[in-house]
Amino acid sequence: MSVLATKLRRDLLRNRSQVIAIVITVFLGITLFGASFDAYRSLEASYESVYDDLAFGDLWVSGGDVEGFAVEASAVDGVAAVAVRSQADVPMRPATYHAMLGRVVGMPVGDQPEVNAVLVIEGGYLSGAGDALVEQHLAEHYGISPGDSIEVGEGMVPLRVAGIVASPEYLWPAPSRQVIITTPEDFGVVFVADDLVTAVAGPGAIAQVAVRYDEGADDEAVTAALVEASTRTGAVDVYTAAEQPSNWALQTDVKGFGDLSFMFPILFLTAAGLGTWVMLTRLVVSQRAVIGTLVASGMPRRSLFRHYLSYGLVIGLGGAIPGVIAGAVLAGFAANMYTEAISVPVTVVRIGAMTPLVGIAFGIVAGLLAAAFPARRAVRMNPAESMRGVAPTGPGRPTLPERVFPPLRRLPASSLLVLRGVFRNPRRTFSTMLGVVLSLALILVSWGMIDTVDHLVGRQFEEIQLDDARVVLAAPATPSDLAALSSVAGVDAAEPTVSVRVTVESENGRYATSLEGFEQGTTMHRFLGPDGELDLPADGILLGLDLEGLLDIEVGDEVTVRAPALGVVTTERVAGFVDEPLGTFAYASLDHIGGLMTSSGAVPDAPGSAVVAGALVRYDDGADADVVRSDLQDVEGVLAVSSTSALQDVLNRFLGLFYAFVGVMLVFGGALAFAIVFNSMAVNLAERNVEVATLRAAGVTPRRIARLVTAENLLVTILGVIPGLAIGYLVALEFMSAYDSDQFSFDLFVRPSTLVFSGVFIVVVTLISQIPGLRALRRLDVAAVVRERAV
Amino acid sequence: MEPAVTTTGLERVFGEGDIAVRALDGVDVEVAAGELVVILGPSGSGKTTLLNVIGGIDAPTGGTVRVDGVDLADLDADGLTAFRRDHVGFVFQFFNLIPTLTAIENVRIIAELSSGAGAAESRSALEAVGLGNRLDNFPAGLSGGEQQRVAVARAIAKAPRLLLGDEPTGALDLETGRQVLGLLERLNREQGITMLLVTHSAVIARMADRVLHMRDGRIVADERNESPQPAAGLEW
Repeated sequence: MSVLATKLRRDLLRNRSQVIAIVITVFLGITLFGASFDAYRSLEASYESVYDDLAFGDLWVSGGDVEGFAVEASAVDGVAAVAVRSQADVPMRPATYHAMLGRVVGMPVGDQPEVNAVLVIEGGYLSGAGDALVEQHLAEHYGISPGDSIEVGEGMVPLRVAGIVASPEYLWPAPSRQVIITTPEDFGVVFVADDLVTAVAGPGAIAQVAVRYDEGADDEAVTAALVEASTRTGAVDVYTAAEQPSNWALQTDVKGFGDLSFMFPILFLTAAGLGTWVMLTRLVVSQRAVIGTLVASGMPRRSLFRHYLSYGLVIGLGGAIPGVIAGAVLAGFAANMYTEAISVPVTVVRIGAMTPLVGIAFGIVAGLLAAAFPARRAVRMNPAESMRGVAPTGPGRPTLPERVFPPLRRLPASSLLVLRGVFRNPRRTFSTMLGVVLSLALILVSWGMIDTVDHLVGRQFEEIQLDDARVVLAAPATPSDLAALSSVAGVDAAEPTVSVRVTVESENGRYATSLEGFEQGTTMHRFLGPDGELDLPADGILLGLDLEGLLDIEVGDEVTVRAPALGVVTTERVAGFVDEPLGTFAYASLDHIGGLMTSSGAVPDAPGSAVVAGALVRYDDGADADVVRSDLQDVEGVLAVSSTSALQDVLNRFLGLFYAFVGVMLVFGGALAFAIVFNSMAVNLAERNVEVATLRAAGVTPRRIARLVTAENLLVTILGVIPGLAIGYLVALEFMSAYDSDQFSFDLFVRPSTLVFSGVFIVVVTLISQIPGLRALRRLDVAAVVRERAV
Repeated sequence: MEPAVTTTGLERVFGEGDIAVRALDGVDVEVAAGELVVILGPSGSGKTTLLNVIGGIDAPTGGTVRVDGVDLADLDADGLTAFRRDHVGFVFQFFNLIPTLTAIENVRIIAELSSGAGAAESRSALEAVGLGNRLDNFPAGLSGGEQQRVAVARAIAKAPRLLLGDEPTGALDLETGRQVLGLLERLNREQGITMLLVTHSAVIARMADRVLHMRDGRIVADERNESPQPAAGLEW
């Protein structure tokens, strides 16, 4: 081993606590990168595998002349398969449970369809018209097994459960893009013989064509040709695989995962680089006499540069190599956990050959970049000056605050020592502040996510949706039917409502959503706009805020609203925009919707009450929700009752995974803060060994010195906390935007208490992380320091 | 009258086994109050170690040290800190000033943190070392001699009875070295501060009342100087 290599090894050993802290930071960063990036790739691969195996569609077209469209579609170049089917949202009752609203999807009997096949997990495939295949999420929730029965349709037609299946269309069981989160109590999917769909749903059944493209086809061109054909055949709803509700939800989630797989590691590697830079700068300063001697003795500056650069290399590799191994192990684990949590039937663990290489490259680059500056400083030293062995003195002038506010100079010398310590080594102060900023960024990103989601859920279910349950009625009901609901014990109020699938179009685009009808002056829903609460207008519609940008429209503009199920095409004035966390809906008064339907002849001469498709119910305070729900179910004409609180519970359970992830990030943030602050504190104390020894020799107690050092560290930390909170907030804003969409409005919300706690957390971490340094200070060999004058 | 400093059979061994270094090997010394003693010897003879042990910043591995009647072995860490605070001033070869504090602040901080002495004592100490006009200068703006004089002021501001100097002129040129020695000489003669100065210069030893010669951790000669030379006349 060369002498320089020996020196390198011994220097690293001598600073082992700092080296270990930095190596751990690199390790965490690379582990996070490897684990999250490969988990992200594995998830993508798992979905792809399911989609390939089950021939997931590329395009769905509903309404119009579906048979005609299917013929045209089959002739388009690049189309591999076309499947025609029906589907309908109908009441259903699994076994002995209460009725719910679910979806029946038509399938060919005997053979799987060419597009959107299902994976039979248990039992067998459809063998007759009386069979049903139950989607796995529904089956799991109700404990349904092959051989059980399930009733579907308004007439509650009993069917035999032939099998339990996984469907590529319902890996995430979302009824529509507007309703991504639902509960198995409120939505489930059953696959039945195609003819049965029309039989049980009547005119409510939607004819649909699913198209799958050839591998390697020009997707954009094929889609354009098919959309053109769908327009010719009068289709009312067209969406691509990217817009398909389940796939959209999964891809949005996995994209966020992918973004985070780079963002978090970059924070860690920056922190590690910072630590390396601080430590090596101190090392170079302390070795200036040695450096001077080496240069004076003829050592090429290039060799010296390489020598100090090698510290960064060793640290980078030291963290990166175990990091890529741990990352690869964790990636498979994370992917398995994830797919299991959302019941994806296949898990493909894909550990990319490039991931470890990229991880190691990240580690090396971070280490080398951090070491480059101290190494450059080493080679620029004047050997004659360096060999004098006298460490550079301080700035030799009052600090900026003292120059700005001269009375500060009259502070006690101990206070001045603290104040000037902060400004003495601007690089170290800056690096500590930067460390605090990075730590706060990591903490605020994590905590900000929790706050935002909490706020989002609270806003949606406590400020906007004020109902406790949505009742689906068998037939359009009169106000007297609603009175029956109101009379149920525990029910405070019931209001009519309607939900109609519509497409909203402007000159600049179109958007498929639901038109939700409420009574004017409803007490079940508040319409909160960006500038305050809005009234539901008598004429015109309110739209979700995202449509302002998506359709490039303003308040007062007119849009076309198509409701194919009701045969309505109308022009509506945009009366305002509502800012809601979940979904992007259209809202209108029930009377207005009733008028539209009357004028279109959809419901001849119907009063407003005739368009009631359901009711929103609010419970009395303290009512037993389960009992009220069950009683509502027994009211004549009620098909299903979906509970808002159950939905909120599901959302909270779903968010449990998210919280776990964020919690881990929070722990990492704390660890990162500790590593950074510990490193800075260690250097801070090491740099002033001689001063401390001199004070000790003069009879100053270790406790007194510890207080001075603590005061200085706290001052630097607080200086970092202030910009840290601001920068952390901005970083969190950027992170949250990775999740923001028209379905989830992730506008960052950080509670003031979170900012306070984050700041306090960093201060506490500072106090804890300086404990080893202060202990070392107590153990300082005063005689040895003043004898050897170690710097 | 009890001597200011008494060491008996003083030993200090660094390391263990084959690599053990016997820095002090049975040192017996008595220093009278108000005496100016120079400890002379080559590098590695144990003179700095002796000074550190007497000053209570290093502990002997054998033997005893008594300063002003106090056996340092009876003191715990806090007791030793208090002992240094109340009795001892140190002047090191490398001035060990805090670069971010001005001359007066460097003196004041020790006074503030240890003896409770304040600005007046600090100013007096700096005036006593001839730096009354450089109070607000930072170390970077002072010459080596001036820095060492600040270090001396720092040591005497709390009015110690014992001042220990470890090569106090080692980092200075002849003229400034002479100035600092003259200052120490004056403090010894005028204020009666007992002084032990470590040096390897035989010329400096001429200003002492007594010269202790050390070699290999032992006192090999103890000479009394009947007519000490004034520091101003020393040449080396």
